[in-house]
Amino acid sequence: MWRPTNVDRPTGVFIGLVVLSLVLVTVDLRASGVGVGGTMREGVQTVFTPVQRVVSAATRPVAGFFEDLSDIFSLRGENRRLRTEVIELERRLEEAEILEIRIAELEAILSLEPPDELDSVVAQVLAVGVSEFDHSRVIDRGRTDGITVDMPVVDEGGLIGRVVAVTDEVARVRLITDPSIRVAVRVERTGETGVLTGRGSAPMVLEMFNRDAAVVEGDILITADGRFPAGIAVARVLEPARSEVGFSLRTIAEPTAEVTRIDFVRVLAFTRDRVGIQDLEDLERPPVIIPAEDAPAEGESDEAPPVEDEVPTGEGDGTGVPEDTGEGAGG
Amino acid sequence: MNTALKYRRVAVVVFSIVIAAVVQTTLFVHLRPFDAAPALVMLVVIGLSRHLSAEFALLTGFSAGLLEDLLSQSALGLWALTLTTVAYVVVRIRDRMEEDFSLLAPFVFGLTLGAIALFAVLGTIFGEKTLADAGLVRKILVPSIYNVALAGAVLPFFTWALGVRAATNPYQT
Repeated sequence: MWRPTNVDRPTGVFIGLVVLSLVLVTVDLRASGVGVGGTMREGVQTVFTPVQRVVSAATRPVAGFFEDLSDIFSLRGENRRLRTEVIELERRLEEAEILEIRIAELEAILSLEPPDELDSVVAQVLAVGVSEFDHSRVIDRGRTDGITVDMPVVDEGGLIGRVVAVTDEVARVRLITDPSIRVAVRVERTGETGVLTGRGSAPMVLEMFNRDAAVVEGDILITADGRFPAGIAVARVLEPARSEVGFSLRTIAEPTAEVTRIDFVRVLAFTRDRVGIQDLEDLERPPVIIPAEDAPAEGESDEAPPVEDEVPTGEGDGTGVPEDTGEGAGG
Repeated sequence: MNTALKYRRVAVVVFSIVIAAVVQTTLFVHLRPFDAAPALVMLVVIGLSRHLSAEFALLTGFSAGLLEDLLSQSALGLWALTLTTVAYVVVRIRDRMEEDFSLLAPFVFGLTLGAIALFAVLGTIFGEKTLADAGLVRKILVPSIYNVALAGAVLPFFTWALGVRAATNPYQT
């Protein structure tokens, strides 16, 4: 066999394996995570699941002990924060009860049926990703429990992520903190829309497209109607939004759920029809709705230009907001 | 090398990589001081590559990386490339290493740090947005420190498990 004279055998094997790795990367990226790569992933995960269950059950008390130990130092502050939160929640509960009564009255007047609650499956986190860059969790419920790809995952705090791969026994959830995930959100207080982008362990970035829409510290961001069902709490704004170069307002927000410390989660039986979402994936900027040529000039009419049904529109600014876009190699 | 020792080494390699992958993905669900965990599979590859033949060490690195790729959402081949490189570096440097931990500790630290940085760069090149992660420095540094802390137990274990203690430690009395 031909071999350059100055390349020894280990170096030759190393170069061969590097080339093989690069070929694998290329093939897998071209297949977008499905095909042979997807089948192999599902196979390996299926084989590993029983072992992971046993090891997880065995190590959970040990990990729990050390976790509790680290929590002791923060208990006093946590207690104080929770007391304040209880007072605030009691106030909100009273408001909510009043609103519920009013909604029921209005529904009765308009003869509307209240929307059905989404079915959900409770699951427990079984495994984490293999590295610090893998923002995903494996949960112990899969296809046999009715879970499919794209379903949203929440806990008591709010949105956690969405299902990106599923086997018969388990499912993989990509967390909202993953830099490749973007979530279309709405500011609960004002109703203005924007896009939230993950940045790993750092706070998420909120981008608002209406520069006149003030966002203040403590504002709660909820899912806009898109890939996720509308109205799920996602994040809490940490700083007032400031104008950046360009046309948007930017600020940072932290997830309302403790994403890195989740244990039990709920998978919502909700999948959006993907028609119209595919085209928006991988967009860095929201689509700007351009009025037709024969549309009336600014000021002639208050009516918004016509938009596609699948594209939620920003309020009052004539811009659309993208669906929370997925990632290149899901599934 | 006799056949029994050969089989023993293959068994040790397969078993330790699988166990490391399982522990990496399960134990560190909640046990994450400073929100990071050791790169256990990488540490196992370092420990094994010190004593295996060059080709076997490279194949071990590649296989361990491929397993990590299959257990994650990263593109297939990224971890394989990273851990093959780790094995190659160990194969090239191991003759100058001794069982002295004061030499091994900086070696493990530097190698883990370099390998995670390599993965981050490769991930970004192939569209994984790993460099967009705001906690990048911490995510590279903390696992490297953890690996050094664990190396004191893990590396001697593989020296013993692979049955090569006497051959590679001429200073032992």
